[in-house]
Amino acid sequence: MKHGVPLDASLDDAPAGFLSFSDDGTIQAVNGTLLTMLNLTRADVVDARVETLLTVGSRIFYQTHFFPMLRLHGRAEEIFLLLRSKDNGEIAALVNAVRRERHGSWITDCVIMQVRERQKFEDALLRAKQQADDARRSAELQRAAVETANAQLERQALELELTQRQSEELSEELSAQTEELSVQAEELGRINDELMLRSEELEQQRVVAEEANRAKSTFLASMSHELRTPLNAIGGYVQLLDMGIHGAVTDAQRDALAKIARSQRHLLRLINEVLNFARVEAGRVEYSIHAVPILDVVEGIRPMIEPQLAARRLLYEVDIPRSEMACVDLEKMEQVLLNLLSNAIKFTPPDGRITVSTEPGDGADRPVRLLIRDTGIGIPADRLSQVFDPFVQVDTGHTRNAQGTGLGLAISRDLVRGMGGDLTAESRLGAGSTFILTLPRAESAR
Amino acid sequence: MDDAIVRRNNIRVSGRGTQPMLFAHGFGCDQNMWRFVAPAFEADYRVVLFDYAGSGGSDIASYDEARYASLEGYAQDVLDVCAALDLSDVILVAHSVSSVIGAIAANREPERFAQLIMIGPSPRYINAAPDYVGGFERSDLEGLLEMMDRNFIGWANFLAPRIMKNAERPELSFELESSFCSTDPVIARQFAKATFFADNRADLPDVRVPTLIMQCSDDMIAPTSVGEYVHAAIAGSTFRMMKATGHCPHMSHPEETIAVIREYLAQSAPAALARGTVD
Repeated sequence: MKHGVPLDASLDDAPAGFLSFSDDGTIQAVNGTLLTMLNLTRADVVDARVETLLTVGSRIFYQTHFFPMLRLHGRAEEIFLLLRSKDNGEIAALVNAVRRERHGSWITDCVIMQVRERQKFEDALLRAKQQADDARRSAELQRAAVETANAQLERQALELELTQRQSEELSEELSAQTEELSVQAEELGRINDELMLRSEELEQQRVVAEEANRAKSTFLASMSHELRTPLNAIGGYVQLLDMGIHGAVTDAQRDALAKIARSQRHLLRLINEVLNFARVEAGRVEYSIHAVPILDVVEGIRPMIEPQLAARRLLYEVDIPRSEMACVDLEKMEQVLLNLLSNAIKFTPPDGRITVSTEPGDGADRPVRLLIRDTGIGIPADRLSQVFDPFVQVDTGHTRNAQGTGLGLAISRDLVRGMGGDLTAESRLGAGSTFILTLPRAESAR
Repeated sequence: MDDAIVRRNNIRVSGRGTQPMLFAHGFGCDQNMWRFVAPAFEADYRVVLFDYAGSGGSDIASYDEARYASLEGYAQDVLDVCAALDLSDVILVAHSVSSVIGAIAANREPERFAQLIMIGPSPRYINAAPDYVGGFERSDLEGLLEMMDRNFIGWANFLAPRIMKNAERPELSFELESSFCSTDPVIARQFAKATFFADNRADLPDVRVPTLIMQCSDDMIAPTSVGEYVHAAIAGSTFRMMKATGHCPHMSHPEETIAVIREYLAQSAPAALARGTVD
């Protein structure tokens, strides 16, 4: 003991370290327990400063914290310090200190408790605290990250929900449309099946009809031939009888022969028409097309109709420019015109008028339109479309005088069409009819 | 006067003089450490005490981890205090790490400062090979941090020591109602790092404000060689070796500390008189 009162013997070996130092840090007293703790001799601490007993870290702590506390508060308790033993070992210790004036100078007395097991707890506690701090910090970071991710997910969820709702709506719409479509498809399928069935039926009917038509044509052709032969024989023998080859013929017999001959010619004409039609129908007609002045054709048949015209006192007018040319088969053209004019004469009451004319031909490209107009009985509108059908005659009260097979117009139209033209009709009941021949125009001869 | 700064830095103004004498505490305590020195200057100066943000009675909420990660942030506190009180011709008395903080502040706004009084300064605590001896290895400072951690486990005790009767120093009694040197353990740790891992040697040559370096004998934190380094680095500085030992002469040897400061200010009084700030 350098200064002051020597330490009591009981303090010297008390179960705790004891240390006294002045404000300037000079060690004033130390007990045996502390010396043993630090493996020091009393000589080591004489005039030494208190910091020499501390590790470097503890020295800074002493200067920056421990000493200011002592100076300001007069005491410090449970201060943890690492003491330094002689062999540079570290002794962990808890220090309680009080600063007080003794014998005119300020002295700090310290009690020093070595901590061993407790330090382990402290170490564990510190580690746990640090881990907790780290965990808290990382938890905060993670929470922030999770919150960010959450917000993002929520946003995405909303978007998804929206998209889902939209796609559900679309899906509903689509399935509704799909149902509708499948219903329509079924319907279409059914209609299609029906159509197929009908088509087949129609095809079968068409085949049957064609066969029937062909049979009809063949029948007509052969019938006409078979009928014509005896008719020709009838005609020939009537002529021989009329010439008196088999003996003298009385006036009464001559009159009877004339009637037989007329009937024979009539029958022959009918047969010929049927034969003609059959030929045309069978497509066995050949055409010899030439550019022909229309006027020539019309005038060419005048002699053949004049007796009938005269008989019915009909006015016959022809108004066709000489320059009007058509590409036609002359013979067929005559046949058609004769048929049309015969009809006109047939259905026009006495004192009527028949006109044959062409429409003013203003364009070289346009076909020739030849009009045969009468002031006859006319054709009802509902029958007009049927006049060209075979075996048809307009059945009116006025047709009693009419004679024929009903094939004339059908054959005429077929022939005109065969020459690249057409035959149509316009009529008003009681106001007469107009038959219009449309013919391919030929270059003018002029 | 900026009330926000006054509150943030717990500014206390006293004294009957006009020239401001600003006392800046070091690491580990607060403005209370000046209580044995500052009153001695109240007769002649306007004494200004303050706590750095995060220390003592400052507004802990104003502590900004990024700002106070380096000593620059603390230097701004010094300048903020000067600006808040509109101080000029300031005598800055700075302990320990505040010496460097003061140097940074004085370099930023040299016109504010008349004198810079450094007590135990060190521009760098860690040794730097080959020729700078700060006195510590990095591992030593890790030891300090461990010491702090261990003591701050029982921080409640450390933060608020029991009020005690001090028959010998009755003048302390009322002040003990508030705890001294209380600090937030996390902030204390960051302040320790900002202090002990800093290297501000490069700031010293820029100091133009007249500077006094007060060097304690046997200072284990700021060894004499470091004090001499500072003296050499600051052109025209004054170096005073004290009889006082340790690192806190203003607490352990307040009389000598007061005397050295007085003597220095007296020497530079002609300049102060010329400015008409001292009667």
